[in-house]
Amino acid sequence: MTSSAVPRSAKARLTRSAIAVVPIIALLTGCTVANSQSDSGVGALEGDTVRVVLQQEPPTLEACEANLTSTGVVVRSNITEPLVERDPATGDLDPLLATEWSQTGDTEWTFTMREGVTFQDGEKFDAAAAAHSIDRAVNSDLGCNVEGYVFGDADLGLDVVNDTTLKITTEEPDPILPLKLSFIEIVSPATSDTEKVREPAGTGPYEIANWSSGNNIRLTQFADYWGDKPEFPNVEYVWRGEATVRAAMITNGEADIATGLSQDDGIGDYGVPYPNNETVAVRFQGNVAPLDDIRIRQAINYAIDKQGIVDALYPNGDQVAAQIIPEGVVGHNPDLEPWPFDPEMASQLVEEARADGVPVDTEIQLVVRTAQFPKIQEVAEILQGEFAEIGLNVNLQMLETAQHLEYQTAPFVTNQGPIMLLIQHGNQAGDAQFSVDQYFLSDGPQSEFGTDEFDAMMDAARPLSGDEREAAYEEIMNYEVESIVQMAFISHQTGMLGVSDRINYTPNSASGDELRISTVTSA
Amino acid sequence: MLNYLGKRILQSAIPLIVVVIGVFFLARLTGDPSSLYLPLSATEEMKADFAARNGLDLPIFQQLLNFLGGAFTLDFGESMRTGEDAAAMVLRAFPATLQLAFFTMLFSIIIAVVIGCWAALKPNGVADRIVSFFSMVAASVPDFWLAILGIWIFAISFGILPTSGVQGGPEVWILPVATLMMRPVGVLAQIVRGSMVTVLGQPYIKVAYSRGATRFFVVTRHALKNAAAPALTVAGDLTVGLINGAVVVESIFGWPGIGKLMIDSILMRDFPVLQAAVLVTAVAIFVLNIVIDLLYAALDPRVRPTGRSAKQQGKKDGEPATTGVRTVKPGAIKATVATASAGSASSTGTTTSTQAPGTQGAGA
Repeated sequence: MTSSAVPRSAKARLTRSAIAVVPIIALLTGCTVANSQSDSGVGALEGDTVRVVLQQEPPTLEACEANLTSTGVVVRSNITEPLVERDPATGDLDPLLATEWSQTGDTEWTFTMREGVTFQDGEKFDAAAAAHSIDRAVNSDLGCNVEGYVFGDADLGLDVVNDTTLKITTEEPDPILPLKLSFIEIVSPATSDTEKVREPAGTGPYEIANWSSGNNIRLTQFADYWGDKPEFPNVEYVWRGEATVRAAMITNGEADIATGLSQDDGIGDYGVPYPNNETVAVRFQGNVAPLDDIRIRQAINYAIDKQGIVDALYPNGDQVAAQIIPEGVVGHNPDLEPWPFDPEMASQLVEEARADGVPVDTEIQLVVRTAQFPKIQEVAEILQGEFAEIGLNVNLQMLETAQHLEYQTAPFVTNQGPIMLLIQHGNQAGDAQFSVDQYFLSDGPQSEFGTDEFDAMMDAARPLSGDEREAAYEEIMNYEVESIVQMAFISHQTGMLGVSDRINYTPNSASGDELRISTVTSA
Repeated sequence: MLNYLGKRILQSAIPLIVVVIGVFFLARLTGDPSSLYLPLSATEEMKADFAARNGLDLPIFQQLLNFLGGAFTLDFGESMRTGEDAAAMVLRAFPATLQLAFFTMLFSIIIAVVIGCWAALKPNGVADRIVSFFSMVAASVPDFWLAILGIWIFAISFGILPTSGVQGGPEVWILPVATLMMRPVGVLAQIVRGSMVTVLGQPYIKVAYSRGATRFFVVTRHALKNAAAPALTVAGDLTVGLINGAVVVESIFGWPGIGKLMIDSILMRDFPVLQAAVLVTAVAIFVLNIVIDLLYAALDPRVRPTGRSAKQQGKKDGEPATTGVRTVKPGAIKATVATASAGSASSTGTTTSTQAPGTQGAGA
């Protein structure tokens, strides 16, 4: 019964042992994880290195994709720089690679380039280099993220007058062209204009030292940087998907800055809240019953206890919202008051609509993106409960990003009855145009209804500048609330960074997308 | 034996091909990836460009043919997300998972055999009860919770281990491996315990004792080998699960393995990387299953191909059903496992909860 299939001879046994031992030795001797480096001990922070822990690995460091949060947070103002930069606190535009600029015609702007600037690959920065970067980001077939988000279909005319002068022409008058250009990161003229690159050469204070895919990205100080040298000569980016782990890395002394946290992640006193220009709202599919009746949309606005949501779930600085953009963004209307929480009024409006034959009992889908922001599921469940309280029949659908996008952008999902979408919209550009053209124009990529009159207001506002522009967009915000009600605004959010006690870093409204390591100093 | 091996390879190749082609079609049913890669305001022209760049504008069967053709030369195209070579990304991630799986299973098997044998020596004794309790707990605890708990205790409270990461010395392995080990140790300890109880009750064990053999000698030289086959079945399935990707653990500890890569690829509709990851994983599981089959045969003569046995039994060549056919099917082995470990409430559950090869990645 105990007969064995295994040969018993000493030779065979030796052979078997050798076969078994070889891979074990191979694995043990190569005990570091495949593709990891062993030169950096985890846990120990190096004195001259700022270690930043992100939510995810950037898919690319291509500068024309810097609108992607995970890319921009590494690239922008660290590796590459734009011609002009927007002050996140004041909204003013400051000189960077361009020292001055002015509007020299209805559709023409002239920029003067900074002299004595070189790229990290040794190329010289001049007007031709700036034109090359703008051309590849806006006019090429690369499909750059910045093109779609900031410039749309419009191409720019680029005329290099001399080494320091660049004239840029637009198809239509564009008073905020310099602001738009603040989103274009300037890369070396040696950069391909037919293919995206993974690792760019820019003019920033840091250059890429090493990208160990899956593990970390290391930047080192660019020796020939034209500006002031940063205090920390090295930066290391690592990534952990789990927020509690990112927080633990700060409290455990393994990282200096952690992004994408909330107070519930265990960050304690190391958590630093900051306004991130993100607004949470419910967007209505306003052309399907019962959401096509303005009374139902108004009722939903009355039904949401916005202050209750903020107090209970986001007590670290979120503000109740009355419009799609927060204070500090051009076009914000300071006179608008949030819809009051008035469930009785809401119920009354629903009953009035019911009496007029509106099918208020139709099941409405409330579509929500899983993990889009902290406690989103709790918000969605509160909303579902509040809508039920006023007599609406709402079904909650939690979807992952790709599925959610089918509801978020045109062409929209159809044949699913009335739909409400919980959205989070960030306006990092600081101008209302970037919000309203997407969400409020009848044919905007994220808009499902509007009126000709409302469209005309937005068309008229676009070429305006200064106070006229401010006033026009303020009126648009007002009109939306009074006459359109395409959304139920809930809150203006705050972000939270973890910052170790080893460093000083003060986040601002841009920190979620642009983490300037050159502003980090020793504590 | 070669015939047997050839037949097993052919049998396993069919599900492998089905999985790979299935993933190709299922991935495309999930929707258009361009919405994830292009700005929300992207024009139709930009979407068309994206589709053309990634070969998504071709007829679906043309895309399949291109994929299968490329697969033979390990050319899976470029990642839509990163622009890197998809095969290179997968081949970089896979060793990290293999290493994690290897150490997890190595230590799991050692610990499970020791405590399983210890428990089996006196069924229903104190040691048996302790082992049964803790192995059931270990097999049931969610790895997500365990990982966070481990970080909280050992990294934050005591500060003796790093929270996460792959850089550095052996300490970076401790929490991920310990987290992943819990379930295999719990499951395998139950299996070893159950089969050892059965084997130790066999007459030949009593004979061995009556001849003056020590308990250590009897357990290690006689009983353990015969009790090992059922444990091997389950260990194989558990290893398959780990090779398929320890998604949660890799994600929490920032481990750059295949599980994390697969999940990212699914969420980002990164078809080239997903296809490459599934194919490489499926091939690895295919190889692992063959190895496990061969190990069965080495350990248990009942499952060995009958060709050689037939000859040993004096049958003539050419008689039907004598080559390449198992006398006991794998299902029967699992039934044996369940029966052998019937003394434990959790054992049947643990054997039935193991995953079929290649299903986790596709379904995750």
